[in-house]
Amino acid sequence: MEQALPGAQPWSSCNHFMFDFFEHTADLGIEVQGASLEALFEEAANALLGTILQHPEKVKPTITKSFEIHETNTELLLRDFLNQLLILFETQRLVFSAIKITLKENALLALAFGEEFEAQRHGRNHEVKAITYHGLSITATGNGFKARFIVDI
Amino acid sequence: MSKTDFQGTLEKVDPCCYKIPKSHKPGMRVDGIIFANETLMAQARKDQALEQVANVACLPGIVGASLAMPDIHWGYGFCIGGVCATDPRQGGVVSPGGVGYDINCGVRLVRTDYRSEDVKPRLKNLVEELFRRIPSGVGQSGKFRFQGKEMQRLLGEGPAYLQERELATAADIDHTEANGYLGGADPSKLSDIALKRGQDQCGTLGSGNHFLEIQIVERVFDAHAAKVMGLFENQIVVMIHSGSRGLGYQVCDDALVNLRKAPEKYGIDLPDRQLACAPADSPEGRSYLAAMQAAAHFAWCNRQLLMHQTREAFASVFAQTWQEIKMSLVYDVCHNIAKHEEHMVNGQTKKVWVHRKGATRAFPPGHPEIPTTYKSIGQPVIIPGDMGRASWVLVGQEGSMLRSFGTTCHGAGRLLSRTAAIALSKGRRIDKELLEKGVIARAQTWKGLAEEQPEAYKDVDEVVSVVEQAGLSKRVARLRPIGVIKG
Repeated sequence: MEQALPGAQPWSSCNHFMFDFFEHTADLGIEVQGASLEALFEEAANALLGTILQHPEKVKPTITKSFEIHETNTELLLRDFLNQLLILFETQRLVFSAIKITLKENALLALAFGEEFEAQRHGRNHEVKAITYHGLSITATGNGFKARFIVDI
Repeated sequence: MSKTDFQGTLEKVDPCCYKIPKSHKPGMRVDGIIFANETLMAQARKDQALEQVANVACLPGIVGASLAMPDIHWGYGFCIGGVCATDPRQGGVVSPGGVGYDINCGVRLVRTDYRSEDVKPRLKNLVEELFRRIPSGVGQSGKFRFQGKEMQRLLGEGPAYLQERELATAADIDHTEANGYLGGADPSKLSDIALKRGQDQCGTLGSGNHFLEIQIVERVFDAHAAKVMGLFENQIVVMIHSGSRGLGYQVCDDALVNLRKAPEKYGIDLPDRQLACAPADSPEGRSYLAAMQAAAHFAWCNRQLLMHQTREAFASVFAQTWQEIKMSLVYDVCHNIAKHEEHMVNGQTKKVWVHRKGATRAFPPGHPEIPTTYKSIGQPVIIPGDMGRASWVLVGQEGSMLRSFGTTCHGAGRLLSRTAAIALSKGRRIDKELLEKGVIARAQTWKGLAEEQPEAYKDVDEVVSVVEQAGLSKRVARLRPIGVIKG
């Protein structure tokens, strides 16, 4: 059976985040929960940040960045949103401590608050190669939504 | 998606080969064939890797069988250790998932004239110097910058462009798979984001399972082949494992976005989104192949520049030039790639697209694509194991052409997930444990070491013995790590 490993969560400072890891042999499986789809997307962004940085809690909201993603499928919209955050890190060295999501029909508006990556302060964790499509899912739960995705490490 | 054991039919073909018959699930066009012994098969059954072998068997135009090597483990879409050949004349597809995000991830082995006693007194200095010079880990850029026309030439020409800049030699290129050049590369097919991700990453190691290791040739199994490769017992060698960095990851990601509508357009029914594909001869297929081959050039240049910096580090620590130390490239192999190759399929010679996803080309002696130096012994195959036990040098054998589209394994294969490896490392110091085994390890994060600890991997000796028994490749030398650099 699939197993979540809550004991393996490495950042004690991040326990307020609503995400966890599930086992995947080669890469990293991430499960997030949110009371709404917007909250789910925001938690997924937190999970990605915590995967890349050792100290995600040290990111300061000094820069504001907004972007839009257009996609009709909600699961693909989540993947594309996370991928955009990865691209902003890879090409502009930007990391975000908070993101306000507005979902519209077939689109997402993101208002992100963060700063430039500083290796000394933020610490390095995993190099995320990509947000994969394998096993990508969003399901409704009794009190909101749950998403699962696998990042290539 | 669950991590349950594989419940389907597995037929034992011989002591190192199993078959998943195509009756296993609707849509399979060919059987699944897995090279493994009983121990490795018991491990492979524990996750979704075998189901992924069956999924790949559903791809249009697949010929022969959906294959997997003994280092098989659960990937995304394709399993790691998977091999799939498709015939474009039968509607054969190309699938970015069959290559992976890290296009032309691969390994190179660099020899030296040093014996272990020459290096051990200064090993700590050498490891520190390599760690200082070679950029590794998240968000780390390198000292080389390639922009505009320089990047276009690097992507279009591969390491030959670096030779012009005196960062590579003719001998380096001769000992690189395909001479580091794929004729279909088209740099104009890369997005601006892919170029941006790559501009300061050529010559950087990355993280995850990528590494640079100083190793000792512990035991030679084939004296003649070892001699031809310039290898001898107690010799110091360097192994480098890296790929196409952010540029390659983005090429794959761009292709997967571009292929979202392809299954519907071409009437392809896919069991997993990550198997997205298009006919090799379609606009989408051709575009991916042209970009993928350019990214492969980037990866070869990356490993070339990593070797260049390694040579500089050795020269600095030992006050000799790398030429004096005779630090020549033994060979460079890719293990994430799709290549257009000729193979016998049902008694006919066909040109097929061989996807190797965590699998290594292993052409036998006499094959026209092997450099003259190695023509008589077969293509050198470099197999990284884990940082505590061993790595291997093999040579390709005739059986690879008969059974696996000229392919063998690529490594030990993961046994534990990263989360399980972290849990297993609680209360331990992996660096100290390695030191007790005679290995000095430096990494950007403790977690990098914990996730990559030897226990996270299968026993590479067992993997290698299976591919030898199956006739895919032959053991030449076992290498033992003594110094490790990780991201």
